[in-house]
Amino acid sequence: MLDIKNLHVAVGGKEILKGLTLSIAPGEVHAIMGPNGSGKSTLAYLLAGRAGYEITQGTVTYRGEDLNALAPEERAAKGLFLAMQYPVEIPGVTTLTFLKAALNAQHRARGEKELDAMSVLKLVRKKAETLKVSEDMLKRALNVGFSGGEKKRLEILQMALFEPKLAVLDETDSGLDIDALKLVAEGVNALRSPGRAMLVITHYQRLLNYIVPDRIHVLAHGRIVAEGGKELAQELEARGYEHIAGKAA
Amino acid sequence: MNAPVPNIFADAARVESHLLPDWLGQRRAEAVETLRVNGVPHRRIEEWKYTDLKTALEPANDSIAATAQWSIERVPVGVTLFDLANLTAAPGWVQAHFGKAAPAETMAAASFALAHGGFALHVPRETAIAESVRVDFSSDGHVRALIVLEDGAELTLIENQSADGGFRNTGIEIVLGANARLTHVRFAGASPEAVQIEDVAVRVARDGVYRAHFFNGGAELSRLIVRMTLKDTGANADLSGVSVLGGQLHADVTTHVYHAAGETRSVQLFKHVAGGKSRAVYQGKITVAKGADKSDSRQTAKALLLGERAEADLKPELEIFADDVKCAHGAAVGDLDADSLFYLRARGIPENEARNMLLRAFLREVVDGIEYETVRDTIWRSVEDALPRAMMSAL
Repeated sequence: MLDIKNLHVAVGGKEILKGLTLSIAPGEVHAIMGPNGSGKSTLAYLLAGRAGYEITQGTVTYRGEDLNALAPEERAAKGLFLAMQYPVEIPGVTTLTFLKAALNAQHRARGEKELDAMSVLKLVRKKAETLKVSEDMLKRALNVGFSGGEKKRLEILQMALFEPKLAVLDETDSGLDIDALKLVAEGVNALRSPGRAMLVITHYQRLLNYIVPDRIHVLAHGRIVAEGGKELAQELEARGYEHIAGKAA
Repeated sequence: MNAPVPNIFADAARVESHLLPDWLGQRRAEAVETLRVNGVPHRRIEEWKYTDLKTALEPANDSIAATAQWSIERVPVGVTLFDLANLTAAPGWVQAHFGKAAPAETMAAASFALAHGGFALHVPRETAIAESVRVDFSSDGHVRALIVLEDGAELTLIENQSADGGFRNTGIEIVLGANARLTHVRFAGASPEAVQIEDVAVRVARDGVYRAHFFNGGAELSRLIVRMTLKDTGANADLSGVSVLGGQLHADVTTHVYHAAGETRSVQLFKHVAGGKSRAVYQGKITVAKGADKSDSRQTAKALLLGERAEADLKPELEIFADDVKCAHGAAVGDLDADSLFYLRARGIPENEARNMLLRAFLREVVDGIEYETVRDTIWRSVEDALPRAMMSAL
């Protein structure tokens, strides 16, 4: 699904990722843990295609294609989804209008049939219910005046709606209380499937109690410094990043 | 010896004040004096820095003394229409107000001194007119209008400035009595061949409400001046406008809101989209007079530039002489928000479509704030019509 080899990425001329290698197969859930400044968000944004992230060395292959050659919208249409740490507020565009535009743009790009407003509404309502996304939220401007939890729930609602092949969740747990976290995690778990891969990026082990990964990678200073199964999360929590990163170095 | 009246105003000198009715002669003389002293506005005058009328009018070296056309299809029951071409027969309400606000502003003085026609509308006390009045201005020259709403009267005026003609100078005076409410909607579609100036002078009495919504498609040179006096307690003004410009079009909105009394309120929201080599200007001055305590004024102007050669000049200005007032103003020029653009694209929306969405969202904020649905829809249609030109990055 995703193959990252010896990836070096510079932002504003400064190298942030320094030789990252990672491979995710369909059906797997991987977690990347790491302290602030380790390059976690850089990896997330790079995968989604944000401007200003320059690959200076290495390759990123997504389902056999060079990801770097694709525009952000092409990546989305090909099934890559990034749940953002800071979902953007867009006044003047209602949430439902946005969801319809995005869904249909992806359908169009894949040569699939577009959905009319009523079908989109029905589909959204069905997904919204389990994530407790209210009708009112759908009518409001996108993310405007949403609480932190509401924003994250809307990210997961989009994930459910777009049914991506690879979902990258960037700090989806940040700013959530425990109830909101559980709700979001349930939403994510419901989407686990043999054909879908996930990359969960987080600073804290807490989220991984609820979304249990197959594999954990520890990122520090732009490199993977430790890897292991789900038990690695507990070790990190107990002994800290310094210990693990130090041991690996 | 007096300085000569500048060329395009030359006919003003020929106005023979002694032939005018007594009530008018003095006001005309003052207007002619304003023209003599000020001349044709040009860019070295601070308020006209971004709108160089003199240069734009240079090709028309002759005196411009024609009267522009106006037409009103239907006058609703309850509204009196008076043709300003018959000034000798002017009723009391015309005599009381016509031209009073003209001498204070050069171009208002010009339309007042030089126009040979125009119209006046009157709504009597406590009369709410449900049907709106639509007026169309067209062709070249100067034209005047006077709108008088007596205490408690209500009216909606829909003004359309047609794209034809070369130079058109419209002067409108609006007088709102206590509790009177006027909604003024103005459309000025893209007029690449025209130079259009309009001066709107508004006086609002106690608890009166002036609401205005403007759409500007721009012209070779265009300026809309709103000079407003909130003269008694509770007077209220709500101004909003959008300019959508492409090519080499120019649109200038200049407002001066004068809070003369306490507990007066004004809100302004103007947004401009400028593509190609166009230029959007907003100059907004708010003056809060001494003693006008508990006045509240808000002013926001934003511009989006769609091309490297487009320009926006936003100049908010506050002048406060009272002690206890609320004033908030802000102005910002920029490009579409890069984070928003990325967010939409990362969800599969192609770049052009995403830009379109954000551009419309930017303007939506203004249009969605319009109370009347029909006005809102009509202005939005004008926006949609004007956007393709603005979005063409070429000339």
